Amino acid sequence: MKRKFPLFSLTVLLAIAAGCFGCGLFLSTDPAYMDLRNCNTAPNHSFFFGTDSLGRDIFTMIWYGGRASLLIGFLAAFFSTLLAVLVGSVSGYAPAWMDGILMRLTDLVFSVPGLLLTIFLQATMGKANVYSLSLAIGLTGWMSMAKVVRTEVLQLKSTEYVLAAKCLGGGFFHLLCRHLAPNFIPSILFMAVMSVRNAMVAEATLSFMGLGLPVEAVSWGSMLSQAENALLSRAWWIVLIPGIFLAGTIVALTNLGNYMRKSINKRHSNL
Amino acid sequence: MRNRYLIRILYGVLRFAISVLLLSVLVFTVSRAAPGDPLYAYYGEQVEKMSAQQQERAREKLGLGEPIPVQYMGWLRNAVHGDFGISYKYKMDVREVIADRIGNTLLLGGLGFAVIFVLSLLLGLFCAWREDKTADRVICAVGTLTSCIPEFWMSLFWILVFSVWLDWLPSSGAYSVGGENSLADRASHLILPLAVVVAGHLWYYAFQVRNRLLEEVRADYVLLARMKGMSGKQVLYRHCLRNALPSYLSMMAIAFPHILGGTYVVETVFSYPGVGTLAYESARYHDYNMLMLVSILTGMLVILGNMLAQGINEYIDPRIGVSKGKGERV
Repeated sequence: MKRKFPLFSLTVLLAIAAGCFGCGLFLSTDPAYMDLRNCNTAPNHSFFFGTDSLGRDIFTMIWYGGRASLLIGFLAAFFSTLLAVLVGSVSGYAPAWMDGILMRLTDLVFSVPGLLLTIFLQATMGKANVYSLSLAIGLTGWMSMAKVVRTEVLQLKSTEYVLAAKCLGGGFFHLLCRHLAPNFIPSILFMAVMSVRNAMVAEATLSFMGLGLPVEAVSWGSMLSQAENALLSRAWWIVLIPGIFLAGTIVALTNLGNYMRKSINKRHSNL
Repeated sequence: MRNRYLIRILYGVLRFAISVLLLSVLVFTVSRAAPGDPLYAYYGEQVEKMSAQQQERAREKLGLGEPIPVQYMGWLRNAVHGDFGISYKYKMDVREVIADRIGNTLLLGGLGFAVIFVLSLLLGLFCAWREDKTADRVICAVGTLTSCIPEFWMSLFWILVFSVWLDWLPSSGAYSVGGENSLADRASHLILPLAVVVAGHLWYYAFQVRNRLLEEVRADYVLLARMKGMSGKQVLYRHCLRNALPSYLSMMAIAFPHILGGTYVVETVFSYPGVGTLAYESARYHDYNMLMLVSILTGMLVILGNMLAQGINEYIDPRIGVSKGKGERV
């Protein structure tokens, strides 16, 4: 099965990212401006995507809010990848007892439902902002990636070139950066992309439940926190539009991640 | 031989106990380190009117005045005797509050698991059989879509379509007022949450089955069986499926707590009275005793599921148990 490059997904992703980070250039409206005469208006030609219950223009909020969502996604993924590489490579490289402790610890963190753990961590850091939320999400999403890194390191550390580097006096970080990381990065690259996606989902879910970003800090998730009231007033645009942007970005990221995954089925089926 | 099994079981029990203990320490410490006042859960807004001394006395009464290790030891002593304290929010024994709701969660999660268990196998088989044909491609695309859309938004979307626009199904709760004993009423409240739970998880597992089968289909024995004159379908059912089943079962052992524990987002959106909503509430309102029991229950399920999966793997492939520690367990 030959994989097609997900050009469409990449285009969608780049377009959304460009729109979010460049929106200051083409938008003159303020996302926080509350036009109280026009609350809950359906999409029309002056408000392309309608307004929310506070009278804010959803079209403007989508682009500014996307900044927070994307930023949290990438920052959190960065934190979890960093942690996963550290834990995984130490665990794979260290003696068996330390490996055992680290892996049991990983399993333990794994056994608490992820979202609940994020809520805790966020609570210990006080009121949520983009950076603290990224950290909280990042600290709860590293486990499966760490296991993959560990497996790879276990295999790599017995190869001759690693042994040779060790004999020449290379320290742990030297080995990690020069010999181990270049070899395991391809196999965790798709997981890193997936963790951007997972972080965005986590942010949106938390903000939706009122535990993430507050309503005044616009993100796609916090825009959706008004959705339950919007359902009652049949304001479909408040529910659908931020969701479609969120889902579109997430699907595009998934396609991209799947493309990077190592292909397993290169041979022909015997069936 | 008999002895070896006994030791194995004892070792398993020990590991289980240690994991649960560590988990309780972790949750206890982290939850209490979090800023925020559990008094609000107990007294509501009244706290603001209380004098400092009154607050101090209330804290004393709830046993919150002492240092965390002392508090933990007290909690542990009671917990070992089966007393998990009272919920600050409901002012009832936490066990009672949970007992009221656990049935609902088990119903939602258990039914969801059962549907996923059957459907993922069927779907995986079908996709492997039609590999790279149109049907497989369509299912893969739809599956990717449903599995990566956030659950809460999918819930909102379906409420919008089926409850608000079409007005076919209720949008919240587990039953309507007065309809507690009507099966039809309960079922109609269950359809949407169940659909979201299934849609959110199904494809992940079906995709694993599909991939596992695709690996299997490329093995040499398939060629041999085909050469002997078996049809492709026969080989798939009799040989490939049988080889893929063990890993499927061990995957499902891990999936059970995952699906059951993962219902809380859905429960929250649908205001479904289950344990998931409790977990979320207790974390938000610092209802410590509730939080402890809920997270320990979920944690126990997860640890049990993992151990079961490992047991299945070891039973099927004894090599895993032997190469301890540094084996390839991912």
